Amino acid sequence: MGSLLRVKDVKRSFGNLHALDGVTLNVDEKTVTILIGPNGSGKTTLINVITGFQKPDEGHIYYGSTEITGWSPQQVYGTGIARTFQIPSMFGKLTVLENLLVAEKNHPGESFAKSMVKRLWAKHETDAIEKATKIMELLGMSEQLSTPASLLSGGQMKLVEIGRALMSDANLYLLDEPVSGVNPTLAHEIFARIIRLREQFGITFFIVEHRLDIALKYVDYVNAMASGKLLAAGPPQQVINDPKVIEAYLGA
Amino acid sequence: MELFPTIVSWLTYSALLSLLGLGVTLLYRTTKVANFAHASFLTVGAYVTYTLTIILSPNPYVGVPVAFFVVGLLGLLMFYAVLEPMRRRNSSTVMLMIATLAFDIMMLGVTNIHADYLNTAYRVPSRNVLLTRLDFTFMGQPGVLFVALGMLVVCSAAMYLLLNFTTLGIALRASMENPSLAESIGVNVSMMLAVSWFIAGGLAGIAGGLIPLWTEFSPDIGTILLPSIFCASIVGGLEQIYGAVLGGLLLGLVDVVGTSVLASIIGPWVAFYEPIIPLIVLSVTLIVAPQGLAGLRVRRGK
Amino acid sequence: MAVYLIVNIGLNLQEGITGIPNFGILLAVAGGAYFTGGLSTRLALSLLGIRTDLSPVINNVPVLSLINPILISQPLVAIGFMVLFLMVGGIAGGAMGLISSAPAVRLREDYLAITLLAFGEILNVIGVGYTPLIGGPPGVSVPDVLGWAGQYRFYAGTFVLLLVAIAVFAYAGYLIKTPLGRTLRAIRDNETVARSLGKDITRYRTIAILIGSTLCGIAGSLWVMYSGSVTPTYARLDWTFLPWLMILLGGMGSNRGVLVGTFIFVTLDKLILYYKYAFAGILPFDVIWLNYLLLGFITILILIYRPEGLVRTWQREPQAAQAKK
Repeated sequence: MGSLLRVKDVKRSFGNLHALDGVTLNVDEKTVTILIGPNGSGKTTLINVITGFQKPDEGHIYYGSTEITGWSPQQVYGTGIARTFQIPSMFGKLTVLENLLVAEKNHPGESFAKSMVKRLWAKHETDAIEKATKIMELLGMSEQLSTPASLLSGGQMKLVEIGRALMSDANLYLLDEPVSGVNPTLAHEIFARIIRLREQFGITFFIVEHRLDIALKYVDYVNAMASGKLLAAGPPQQVINDPKVIEAYLGA
Repeated sequence: MELFPTIVSWLTYSALLSLLGLGVTLLYRTTKVANFAHASFLTVGAYVTYTLTIILSPNPYVGVPVAFFVVGLLGLLMFYAVLEPMRRRNSSTVMLMIATLAFDIMMLGVTNIHADYLNTAYRVPSRNVLLTRLDFTFMGQPGVLFVALGMLVVCSAAMYLLLNFTTLGIALRASMENPSLAESIGVNVSMMLAVSWFIAGGLAGIAGGLIPLWTEFSPDIGTILLPSIFCASIVGGLEQIYGAVLGGLLLGLVDVVGTSVLASIIGPWVAFYEPIIPLIVLSVTLIVAPQGLAGLRVRRGK
Repeated sequence: MAVYLIVNIGLNLQEGITGIPNFGILLAVAGGAYFTGGLSTRLALSLLGIRTDLSPVINNVPVLSLINPILISQPLVAIGFMVLFLMVGGIAGGAMGLISSAPAVRLREDYLAITLLAFGEILNVIGVGYTPLIGGPPGVSVPDVLGWAGQYRFYAGTFVLLLVAIAVFAYAGYLIKTPLGRTLRAIRDNETVARSLGKDITRYRTIAILIGSTLCGIAGSLWVMYSGSVTPTYARLDWTFLPWLMILLGGMGSNRGVLVGTFIFVTLDKLILYYKYAFAGILPFDVIWLNYLLLGFITILILIYRPEGLVRTWQREPQAAQAKK
């Protein structure tokens, strides 16, 4: 199993705040890895830097054999990496179905010229709708397909967030707290589905997550961060028993 | 091109622009809105002066303090009737802008009605009015030059003192920087905003009151001058209140002196395009350096 | 009214659907109008093969007297010209839109609005000052493309306007349902997420402005042809403020809303004009100013109490009830 995502010595500061202070980590293909750390340890910043919403001051990021340091979010998405946001971000006035459809890559209907001729994109659209419907079924949200996204509950929005990421047929999913605010039963279900997706399609997941009680039993690897640095990385039992990690959590 | 009268014109114009720009910038800082109604503010000021010269005394400067209060109150009215309800509903900045535009249009109707009234009731012309003949001269120059500059100095100083040395002023600044924080320590932000509208209105009233002494005016004078006012504010930098003074000076320079120079070099047809100048400066500034001059200075300092 | 409808749809596309506050549609409308005014006569001259020493602009009337008789006698040529002029208007509008889009990609809401407003005003001033374009303040007349209809000119004109308006309305409706329309709305709702999904924001915004402006340009062109001449007095009021008012009234974002808003406004406007004399008796002042007062007042009312307009984009009540199950 090769390395899919490699972060090397990445630094990013905001004024005097060193959000990322030389982070090096590795995510192997077809694994489910979580990133833990107390608030303010730089987890979301790391995701932002990887996905292009912020540029690192120093360091490199590799996806497979390609260097993607400093790429724009659009480019990152195009290369097969999908992300979700910690605070669910919807297209409020669009329906749930539409929210998912926007995620569809390279839809010919989006180009100005081609959109005028319906025949050129109708098939792609039908296929996309089918895919979206299946994804929403998977997540148990079939009832809400025509609901405007702004009317959803927080937990439902989280699911749509995940669904949207799944539309992209990406290889690497960076999920930022996908189950926060979601009730435990549903959270377990989501993680179970993530595992199934990994089994079935060989997708890699890199998840920022607080709720160890739920996540721990599903993951292959744990990376722990604190104060902008990576403290430990490895199988779950090893990391959570690492004294440095315990101190960071208790001390925080 | 005669240098001296051009410079006089420049300074007078700049002083007036700066007074108006100060108001616009102040309002932008407190209420986060570009106030299109400022056009009406100054028009009302102009008509106050004019009306008073008809019914009260031929001294045009009598109108200035009155205009201060009248337009100040108008500003208050506008705030409470229009902006405060919208603010409470969290309307977007674009909506607020449209609201000021709408208020301006309403006031355009009002000033026109007033102008018609003056026309019919007092048998005087109420459009294309020029009152320079009523001005006094000092050292061979029109009095308005000194009064305008004087008012600019006095008002700027007063604002400075107010904002930095009085409790009211400090509360006002707090409301500008961080309204929610100010609110939580007991500042009545709503009232502070209202105060800023009164002040801005008052400043516009003073400037508007002096307009008849500088140029011909009709009810649309505000609309005509508005781009220049916005330009002065923006060039000076919307983040820094006193920037408007600089902006006014600069714009006045480019506009008055520039047109004069170009006209004498290239030809008098240039004058036709004069209205574009503030518009172009405005656009270029917004695109290239939206923080204006004041912003540039701050950035270089870091 | 049809003209306004076209303009408003163009504006709606930009603001309501994509979230771009284009206060400078005056630019596009006037652009269409001015270019049609300026070029049409020249085009007609060259296409008809008329040779003359007179300048199409300054000696406008005599030149037209050479052209118009031909147009009157050959309806097909006239219609052909009409289409040609419409295209000119559209292209001009689109070009103006491109110019507008340059700042649009870098500035945020209110700054953008002011800049675009300034652009529109600049064109106006140029229109007044630059004589070769459309002959300065008095303006210029255009070839009478409807002359063949003789006494039915009014009906022919209205018919054409309605036709174009319906076409535009249909197109806009279709556009919204396409994936392109969907993406534009997504960008309006949440730009960050749209970016994370690979959408090139700049490109889409430019497309929206282009389409919207082209429509506005066509509208400007139509207006000129319908009224027979163009003058550079396109006021800030008429083409910048009123379209906004009309789409606000009806509801931004929804084409049906735009229709409703435009309809209500134009009707009211005509009513006031019509019953002017009745009003003159009651009111102590001139009726024109009543227009201003009402306009401003109504706008403020809408902004405070019903910013979504009269026609809601979503039927909130039934949906809300369903979602709360």
